[in-house]
Amino acid sequence: MLMEVKKQIKISLLSIKYSIMMQMLNKVTFITNVIFMILNNASFIIQWMVLFNIKDNVGGLSFKQVILLWGIASGTYGIAHLFFEEAFNLSKLIVNGKLDSFIVQPKNVLISVVTSRSKISALGDLIYGYIVLLFYGITIKRFIIFTFVNICGGIIIAEISIIYNSFCFWFVKADILGDTINNTMLNFATYPETIFKKSVKLILYTIIPVGFSTYMPFKLMLKFGIREFFLLIISVLIISLLTFGIFNKGLKKYSSSNLMVSRI
Amino acid sequence: MKKYLHIYKVTILDNIQYVSNIVLRILSFAIIIFVLFNLWKYMYSDQETINGYSKSQILWYVLITEGIWFGVRNKNFTNEISDSIKSGNIAYSINKPYNYVSYLIVKNLGDITIKSLVFVLVVSTIGTIFIGRLKFTILQIPFVLIALIFSALIFSIIDISISLISFWIEDAMPFHWVFDKLVLIFGTIIPIEMFPNSIKTIFSFFPTYPIMYGPAKIIIDFNFNIFCKIFLVQGIYLICTIIIMNLLYKEGVKKVNVNGG
Repeated sequence: MLMEVKKQIKISLLSIKYSIMMQMLNKVTFITNVIFMILNNASFIIQWMVLFNIKDNVGGLSFKQVILLWGIASGTYGIAHLFFEEAFNLSKLIVNGKLDSFIVQPKNVLISVVTSRSKISALGDLIYGYIVLLFYGITIKRFIIFTFVNICGGIIIAEISIIYNSFCFWFVKADILGDTINNTMLNFATYPETIFKKSVKLILYTIIPVGFSTYMPFKLMLKFGIREFFLLIISVLIISLLTFGIFNKGLKKYSSSNLMVSRI
Repeated sequence: MKKYLHIYKVTILDNIQYVSNIVLRILSFAIIIFVLFNLWKYMYSDQETINGYSKSQILWYVLITEGIWFGVRNKNFTNEISDSIKSGNIAYSINKPYNYVSYLIVKNLGDITIKSLVFVLVVSTIGTIFIGRLKFTILQIPFVLIALIFSALIFSIIDISISLISFWIEDAMPFHWVFDKLVLIFGTIIPIEMFPNSIKTIFSFFPTYPIMYGPAKIIIDFNFNIFCKIFLVQGIYLICTIIIMNLLYKEGVKKVNVNGG
């Protein structure tokens, strides 16, 4: 069992590595994608500078804390899209019947699919997250926690996308749902949780679980607690089980389009 | 001119077939508006006015600018331009009996016409229900229309020009990101009056002034002098962006390499 997991991780990492290498072939495109994504994220600092000029706190958070929240949102998004890009295109693969080449492989279908492609601009998002950490004040402890919460948050974001996109196994038009949830999560993730009413917070920890992918990691960064640490791990595990369960159930409904596809 | 009108008409008819796609955009729009309303309501929780804007004025401002953003932005079309340059498919478009860049502008305007009209309705409905009626007279309508049409034209031309960068650099997407964020931050989420004085002057030269701030200001706080100023800036911007777009196309098209097949 452990050997199987080890092999799966090794293959997935190789797949991601080759996908990144392939996109690095055009150096100008690679560099502009990464640098402009960092600039793109950094531009929002101006928005928060202006807002903090009006009020000395937003949702009870200081300027540095809001920027840290942005760093976590950016870092988790970076991890999700750099390592699991196909989780966000899953609906198209299902609707167009393009899962055949993954099903015939003697490896886990879901992991093989989601790690088969990387979004190179997401590297800019991830780097920006660490730049923010530098600005916030980097220590070894913070660096470890930041990396840990980014990985957890990134996995959750990818898994939520897989869950909603998997509905395409049953309803073709469910791709709209997946896209909307992804955009919604991103919109909420970049604003403090405290500006929303309690009724909204309920949605943020259920239907649109940005609470688990960004707000919980953010709280853990502000004040590390063993209880919160394990709560985050348990959240990842539960969402993972749910993701694999829904995808595998849906896979039984999958019908091929007999499309000839070669994976290079 | 007749052929461009025909392209415009055909594009509108084509878009009517896919009007259901707008529903998704309305949903995304509503979510963003919800987040921004929460943010501004929090900012106004202990003060009546901020830099001359009352709470209802700022909510209307955000609603209108986001409405313009959602109505006028045509990401798929600008991506198509870049893709056609990258793939070489542009060769099929530039040998037609029309001016290619004029065709792009007309097609883009055709694409956004229905969407923009839908968003005018959505913005008015959301605003009236959740914020309250706006001080708006029928006499303002012609001025608002002029400002909105100019805004759409300038936005289209800048977006097309950015896509034309693909003649030199394969992927123009990063340039779109930066321009989009420039528009969003300097004028969509926060109006010019909220910025520090030093940035305000620089902001007046940014494209967000004629695209976002101008039309929104004319709607929420109309006076003829402001309209004249915004109209002048829009006119200058329109001329400059047309010149830049034509230059980019003229120089860029020389770089097209078609491999047949």
